[in-house]
Amino acid sequence: MAAPIISFGALVTLEELTSASQHFKEGASLRVTGKLQDYNVETAIAIINDGAATLKVDTQHLKINFRMSSIYQFIGELHFDSPDEVVLKARVGRNVDGIDLNLYHQSIKLLQEFQSDQIRKQAP
Amino acid sequence: METTLINTHVKLLASDFNALTPLPSDPSLFSRSATPSPLSRAETVGTITSRDLKPGKFLRFTIDDGTGCIPCILWLNHSNSPYFTRRSPTDVRQIAQLAASLASLVQVGVVARVRGRISGYRGVVQITVADVGVERDPNAEILHWLQCVKLAWKCYNVSPCSR
Repeated sequence: MAAPIISFGALVTLEELTSASQHFKEGASLRVTGKLQDYNVETAIAIINDGAATLKVDTQHLKINFRMSSIYQFIGELHFDSPDEVVLKARVGRNVDGIDLNLYHQSIKLLQEFQSDQIRKQAP
Repeated sequence: METTLINTHVKLLASDFNALTPLPSDPSLFSRSATPSPLSRAETVGTITSRDLKPGKFLRFTIDDGTGCIPCILWLNHSNSPYFTRRSPTDVRQIAQLAASLASLVQVGVVARVRGRISGYRGVVQITVADVGVERDPNAEILHWLQCVKLAWKCYNVSPCSR
């Protein structure tokens, strides 16, 4: 059957989101999770981190009261302001304090394996 | 015909749900190649990413679970649908109130658990919503993913003789 119009946010960890990733391209719809490291009230740009990896998130369309060091999850599209300036323009976001990040990372890997397995089974 | 999953709200990832196709023999039942048993109902957990309300008619919304988007429709036309004219006005009023309260829970950005009947509309498979619950536990989606994978491996994708 035909696919729905709205793109889903593919599950990626910030550490996976490098130039080698298939998701690292203009307009890619992603779901990212990380700890709030910095937030600029004037530009509504948040910087989240997960381990050593960081990502800028444009939150101008969201109504969230940000708290430093809290964990947030965003779904949005990746934009390249310049080759070195990557920002996720968030469509939706929420506070996920209490999330088990270790389990989250393991579950993403399991989901990716499961989906690859499903595709392999459906191949003629 | 294997019927054990008919009328069960099967937990499906969106990537699996969107691969469902109606059975030629009965368009109210759906299947996918890896799922031998026909399905009629589904359960999903994900972030609501769109909301389109037509007052007195329906609320259309999408659930994003990280593997795909599932279109959902919640009917709000109980007062003017011929389907309900033969039922008691009190029952219809209560059903309408329940639907209105479910609609108020559906807000963009919220993580929700949605159950309902699998249906097709203009070539797209969707959920005709029977129940909506807001999930406040930040680990609820993770648990749903793990349940979907486990059920697919241990239950949904195996033939009846190998269970």
